[in-house]
Amino acid sequence: MDKLIITVLGKDRPGIIAATAKSLFDLNCNLENVNQVILQNQFSGIFIVLPPPELSLNTVKTTLEKDLADTGIYIHVNLADTAPNGNGKGEGENFIITTIGPDQKGLVAKFTRIIADANVNVTNLRAVFKGGDTPGANIMVYEVLITPDTDQKALFSALRDKAAGLGLDVSIQHKNIFQAINKI
Amino acid sequence: MFNEQEILSTIEMVKNEHLDVRAVTLGINLFDCVSHDLSVFKHKIREKIVTRAEALVPVCNTIGEKYGIQVVNKRISTSPIALVGAPFNAEQMVEIAICLNDIAKEVDIDFMGGFSALVEKGIATGDRSLMDALPRALAETQRICASVNVATSRSGINMDAVLDMAKVIKKAATLTAQDDGIACAKLCVFANIPQDMPFMAGAYLGVGVADSVINVGVSGPGVVKKAIERALEARPNLTLGRIAEVIKTTACKVTRVGELIGREVADNLGTRFGVVDLSLAPTPTVGDSIGEIFQALGLTSIGVPGSTAALAMLNDAVKKGGAFASSHVGGLSGAFIPVCEDLNIAEAAEKGYLTIEKLEAMTCVCSVGLDMVPVPGDISEETLAGIMADEMAIGMINNKTTATRIIPVPGKKAGDSVFFGGLLGAAKIMKVPHATNQDSFVRHGGRIPAPIHSLKN
Repeated sequence: MDKLIITVLGKDRPGIIAATAKSLFDLNCNLENVNQVILQNQFSGIFIVLPPPELSLNTVKTTLEKDLADTGIYIHVNLADTAPNGNGKGEGENFIITTIGPDQKGLVAKFTRIIADANVNVTNLRAVFKGGDTPGANIMVYEVLITPDTDQKALFSALRDKAAGLGLDVSIQHKNIFQAINKI
Repeated sequence: MFNEQEILSTIEMVKNEHLDVRAVTLGINLFDCVSHDLSVFKHKIREKIVTRAEALVPVCNTIGEKYGIQVVNKRISTSPIALVGAPFNAEQMVEIAICLNDIAKEVDIDFMGGFSALVEKGIATGDRSLMDALPRALAETQRICASVNVATSRSGINMDAVLDMAKVIKKAATLTAQDDGIACAKLCVFANIPQDMPFMAGAYLGVGVADSVINVGVSGPGVVKKAIERALEARPNLTLGRIAEVIKTTACKVTRVGELIGREVADNLGTRFGVVDLSLAPTPTVGDSIGEIFQALGLTSIGVPGSTAALAMLNDAVKKGGAFASSHVGGLSGAFIPVCEDLNIAEAAEKGYLTIEKLEAMTCVCSVGLDMVPVPGDISEETLAGIMADEMAIGMINNKTTATRIIPVPGKKAGDSVFFGGLLGAAKIMKVPHATNQDSFVRHGGRIPAPIHSLKN
C-alpha cells in the first residue's frame, strides 16, 4: 500500500501525539515524517506513514477514530502523493520575505497573490499578530523558493510596492544570511 | 524555519544598526606585467586589471541586493608598484598612478591600493622613485591609495625613510592645500604592514598570494554598540567579562556575513577567496561610530581614563569572535580609531577628551595607529617624523601593525575645521605640542635596530 497522510486537528491537550502514535504502532505502521504546530491552543499535526501492504486506508481511519474517540480530535486520512511538487522548475534559492506593520484584513491574501502570480512557491509561512498599539509586533514571514526562471526583480518590486501602499515595512533577504547570523 | 526573534534581530542588524560589508577588495598580481617600457607596462596593467575587475562592481551589487546587505566599497589592490615598476623614475611613477586612476574609474571602483613600497630595511631604486612620486601621484589622482612600510619587528625602523615620508606628507599636503591636504588622507606609513589586506589606504596584494584574490573587510560598530546596549538594558549589572562575551558573539555574526558574501563574490568572479578582515571601521554616520561603543560601555567619551582598557577589551573580543567565525582571517582585524572618519571621535577630540598623546597610547592596543589625524599645517618635518617614529616603535616592539595617516592641513592651526567629505569625514585640527620645533633626533637617520626578540627562529 502507498504511504498515507494523516491530519490530526483539535484543541490542544496532553497526549494527542502519544495516542495517535500508539494507535499507528498497533497497526504496524511506520512513521516517516511528523510535523505539529500549536496556534492559540489549537493543535494541528501531520503524519506521513508507511502502512503494511495488507492494511487498507479505511482500516487505518476507523481504528484511529475509535482510539481517539474521547479526545474530540478530528482525523483525516488520505493517500500521500509523494511525487515531486510539480512546479517543474528544478532547484531554486530560498528567500525570506518579512513584513512588519499595522494589522489589516487580507494581508496574507494580498502578498501570497503576488507571490503566486510570479509562480513562486511559499514553503513556509508564519504570521504573528501580537501588536494592538505596537504595529512592530505584527510580523508575517514568508519563506519562498525562487527558481532561476523567476523574474526576481519584478517580484521584489511588486512586493515592495504593495508593502508601501499598505504602510508596511518589508524586508526581502536570502535565507543564507539568517543562517549565517543565527545558526552557529 | 527561523523563529521570529532570529528574523527580527537579523533585520534589525541590517536595517537599523548599519550592518554592511565595508569593502570587497579584489587583489590583482601585476608581476606578469613587468616591462622596462612604460607604455608596454601601462598597456599590460590596464588589460589585466580591466579583464579581472570589470565584473566586480555589478557582482557586488547583485549579491548585496540578494542578501539585503550593502557592499559599501568595491576596491582593488595590486602588487606593490615600487616592485613591479622598479625600472621607472619618479616622473614615470606619476604616469603609472594616473593610469591606475583611469583604470579605477573605468571599472567604477572606489579606491585602488597598491601604490606602495616596502622599505623597512632600505630604499631600493623603485622604492625611491615611488616615494619621490608620491606627492604628485596623490595630488593628481582621486582614487589611488598609497602605503609605505618603514619598519618591522624583524628589521627595525628605517629612520631615513621615516624622515623622507615626513617630507612627502608635507609636500603632498601643500599640493592639495585648496582641499585641506586631502592627498595625505590616501597615504599610510606602516610598521609591520600585513600583506593581503583589504583596508585602504594601506591595501596591497602581497607576494606569495594567488594571482587574484577576493578579500573582505567587515564593519559593524553600530551592531556592536546596540548589542552592548541591549545586554545592559536587560542586565544593568553585567560584568565586563560578560560584556566582552556579547561583543565576541556579535563579532562572530558580523564576520560570518562578511565571509558569506566574500565567498560568493569570489565564486562569481571565478577567483579565490582570501581573508576576512575583522576590523571595526567607523563611518561619519550617527549610530555607526567606534566612539559610541565607548559610551555604551559607560565612559563619558573616548579619550577619558579607561579608554585604553575598553579598547583593549573591544579589540580582543572582536578578534576572538571573528577567529571562530572564519578560518581565514587577516588584514588588520581590530578596532580603528580614526579621528576624521568617526563623528564621535572627532567630537571627543574637539571637546578635549581625546588628545594626540592619548590617541598614541590607545594605539598600543588597537589595530592600526594614528589614523586620519589632522594636525597644524606648520608642523615641522622633524616633529612629524618624530610622531611617526614613535608610532613605528610601538609596532616594532610589540610585534603588531601600527600606522600613521596624518594630515598637516596647510594654512590652518589647531582648532580650525577641516572637511574631507564622504567616508573621510570632518574634524577639528588637533593640537600638537612642540609642533614647529626641529629636534635633530630624526635627522641622525640610519636604522633603529630590531628588538632582541626578532632573533627568534
